[in-house]
Amino acid sequence: MAHHVTSKDLPVNGEKVKSSDLALPKLISLIVFVLGAVASFFLFTDKTFGDGYSYSWLFAFMFFISLALGGCFWTTLHNVTNSGWGVSVRRLMENLGFVFPFMAVIAIPLMLPSVQNDLYEWMETHRDVASKYIDEDGTVHENDRHQIVTLAHHAHVKEKKVEHGAYTSPNADTFKAAHESLLATKSWYMNLPFWLGRVIGFFLLLGAGIWIQRKVSINQDTDPNPTCDRLIWTRKASCLIMPVFAVVATFIALDFMMALDYKWFSTMYGVYFFAGCALNSMAVLILTLTWLRSKGYLQTVASKEHYHIMGKLMHAFVIFWAYVSFSQFMLIWYANITEETTYFILRNTGEWWGWSLSLTFGHFALPFVLLLPHYVKKTTKFIVPVCLYLLAYHFIDLYIAVIPERGVSLTHGESLFVEHSAYLGDIVAFFTVGAFFVFMFLRNIGSANTYPNRDPRILESANLHN
Amino acid sequence: MSTSVKRVYGYLAEFESASALYKGAEKVRDAGFKKWDCYSPYPIHGMDDAMGMRRSILPYFVFFGGSTGLLTGFSLAYITQVMIYPTVVQAKPANIFTTSAFFPIMFELTILFSGFTVLFCLLGLMGLPRLNHPLFASRQFHRATDDGFFIAVEARDPNFSPEDTKELLAAAGGTNIELVEEED
Repeated sequence: MAHHVTSKDLPVNGEKVKSSDLALPKLISLIVFVLGAVASFFLFTDKTFGDGYSYSWLFAFMFFISLALGGCFWTTLHNVTNSGWGVSVRRLMENLGFVFPFMAVIAIPLMLPSVQNDLYEWMETHRDVASKYIDEDGTVHENDRHQIVTLAHHAHVKEKKVEHGAYTSPNADTFKAAHESLLATKSWYMNLPFWLGRVIGFFLLLGAGIWIQRKVSINQDTDPNPTCDRLIWTRKASCLIMPVFAVVATFIALDFMMALDYKWFSTMYGVYFFAGCALNSMAVLILTLTWLRSKGYLQTVASKEHYHIMGKLMHAFVIFWAYVSFSQFMLIWYANITEETTYFILRNTGEWWGWSLSLTFGHFALPFVLLLPHYVKKTTKFIVPVCLYLLAYHFIDLYIAVIPERGVSLTHGESLFVEHSAYLGDIVAFFTVGAFFVFMFLRNIGSANTYPNRDPRILESANLHN
Repeated sequence: MSTSVKRVYGYLAEFESASALYKGAEKVRDAGFKKWDCYSPYPIHGMDDAMGMRRSILPYFVFFGGSTGLLTGFSLAYITQVMIYPTVVQAKPANIFTTSAFFPIMFELTILFSGFTVLFCLLGLMGLPRLNHPLFASRQFHRATDDGFFIAVEARDPNFSPEDTKELLAAAGGTNIELVEEED
């Protein structure tokens, strides 16, 4: 075992990343973001790359918010489980999680009615439907709702009779009536004010949760008389924050991604999204740790053992992701219910099929085998490519969760894809949001010590052995 | 008058505490012994390193055990559901893609075979089950399950010598050093 770290090895006032190390990457990311934001403004308004830019933006937003949400998760989990191993890297988790509240900036374009009309059909028809079935004082006409469902049913049956038993697709009017009644039934949840309230609530609630955990942790760094009080306080507080995280992460997936097709629902969608959050934010944490160590930080407190544990957690979440996403697929495939299968039918059609299939091997089988040996997890030259690979597959995973909806929604089912230039928009949005994410993350890293140097368990973590 | 042949098993030395055992183990390790072991009432953190133990080869067995389970599950599903007796449900196709319905079986068989491999290979590598152990001949050794910390160096180790090993154990902090003999 290496030298036993004692309090003499740690600088009294902790270790801070020199601003010279951060200045250049921060500047680059800021420039990319500003350029991208200007470009996005024109792409949203002028539709240079076609109508699909809203989807590009939503995809980029979901990708980077999943990483920030994962940071919130690992911070809260670390505190709620009273963990000692990760105190050395906990500040990285806090910094990553604290990007979350700033992601609200990226959510602003999603509040524009024109963007919402592209993304969420139900918002477009919401007011129309609401005026039909809901009174001004907010009560839903139960009778009317039943009536419209019955009418839709009868119209369908009548149409069939005319054709003498041969099955024909329902005509456009019947379809519309059926969908509107479906939306009216769901309108207590899927209405604009409530949706907006939820989105604001997500950022306020979990934003406060991660802010307070990071704040208390940073205050400890300069406390001349550090005690266990903050440790115990955070442990208690994190018990309240954990359920908040669970609800927020689930409903972000539901309200931004599942809402793309209001007819479709899956109770596993939230946990599916969460699995991606936890897995890939751990990849980001490992990459950040490696970057900071290559610059000479975190040398005394973090070691191979931390890499080993973080790699093991990542491995666990590779399996968890596969478990959840497969369960979702298999239950829907097995039950074969029309409303549920649409999601997978769309993603198994045309060019999407190959990508969907590749998730099985690329997102699960290969990383599962790669991460099995302990030396892969402990050695940076092995684990860094694996982390980058996993992030690349997270890109594909979310891409085929969001983007297939673009073609069918914007062309009203005529085509799987919109114009091919829409892919350029995906790239612009990804780099714009990515630059913002990187800038905020670097800002968080620079604004506090690299590790909680006065935490009562920093030495326990520095001398970690597993 | 009967005579019985006895075979020397090795030296058994008692240590005062877990930390004395740990430091003693490092000395025995550095002396280059391979056939020896530490005995304590509870697991001691970092003892593997102090004893210079290499990683177990068990994971490799388990990998192949698990792979066998996966292949068994796949064959079972594919042969029965695609080749021999295709069951058509809800007009779903009976081909290689049907196997997604049988992923749980493949998964469970992977776990089951891995579990079996762990259990039986572990027992095999440890040489269990066995009816007796030569160290049970020592009276003081019974305390290993209560409050005793012991190191036993076996006579089969090529570095073993009747005098030097005893001195080494004494120098490492061992007391009550005893030559354990087994009945042949």
